[in-house]
Amino acid sequence: MEYNKVCFMYRAKDSANDGIRSALGLAVENMYSYGVVLDDVTMDKIDENLTESIEMLRDMEGEIYSTNPANCELNGLEPITIEELGEKLRDMTHVIPYGIKK
Amino acid sequence: MAKSLGIFVTNPEQFKHVMGITKAAKAKGSKVKVFFTWDATHNAKKEPGFKDLCELADDVSICVDSYAKQGYDIKDIPAGLDEKKMATQAQHGIIIEDYDCYLSL
Amino acid sequence: MKVLNVYRSEPDDTTKKLVEIVIRDRESDSFDLNVDSPDYDALVDKIFDADQVICWW
Repeated sequence: MEYNKVCFMYRAKDSANDGIRSALGLAVENMYSYGVVLDDVTMDKIDENLTESIEMLRDMEGEIYSTNPANCELNGLEPITIEELGEKLRDMTHVIPYGIKK
Repeated sequence: MAKSLGIFVTNPEQFKHVMGITKAAKAKGSKVKVFFTWDATHNAKKEPGFKDLCELADDVSICVDSYAKQGYDIKDIPAGLDEKKMATQAQHGIIIEDYDCYLSL
Repeated sequence: MKVLNVYRSEPDDTTKKLVEIVIRDRESDSFDLNVDSPDYDALVDKIFDADQVICWW
């Protein structure tokens, strides 16, 4: 069986917080699910609930990345470059530019 | 037989396109499912055409958790929906798994 | 693999870079939703014709 691989991308702070939950929602549906917080977004320190969501996502072989090193440092996200992200998107069955762009 | 189409709506400013694409797809005989999440759930209360969309598409649902987070009472079910359509992210999974074509807006 | 890129606004450098990598050595098409009256009929035809649709911000 071929599993779906889905990548969400976020370009606004609110979209990132909610979109991470949407990514988790697909992981529990048995899909490989990833999220990427793009450069435009400087995140606040994430709360306990969201931290828990990211940990659950990782338990299901998903991951949350960011192209912005400040987000990686503050919230323990995996660093990714825009070029690496582009290559990753080629491997996805579904690519979701999530929410609004600010 | 036209392909089926699932639409995942995450941006509240896209309702015009949701309607336009749904109308065009239905005119071609397509089965259409639409799921609204996060602040796109505002569309269910603020867009006058939302009830029409529910009548036009084969299946319309919203994320009830998002709806509550946007400040609405989950007992205040938008016109066009019923309790079963106040749903979870599993609806997004159904769009991906069971529909031929996928679009996010 | 045929990719349809749909644009809801003028693509910026980030979007352009990602699209460039995604469509490398692949068949691709595009549709601009950022106009007054999009031809939804034509868009649906393109969606049905594509293997993957990416609707950029």
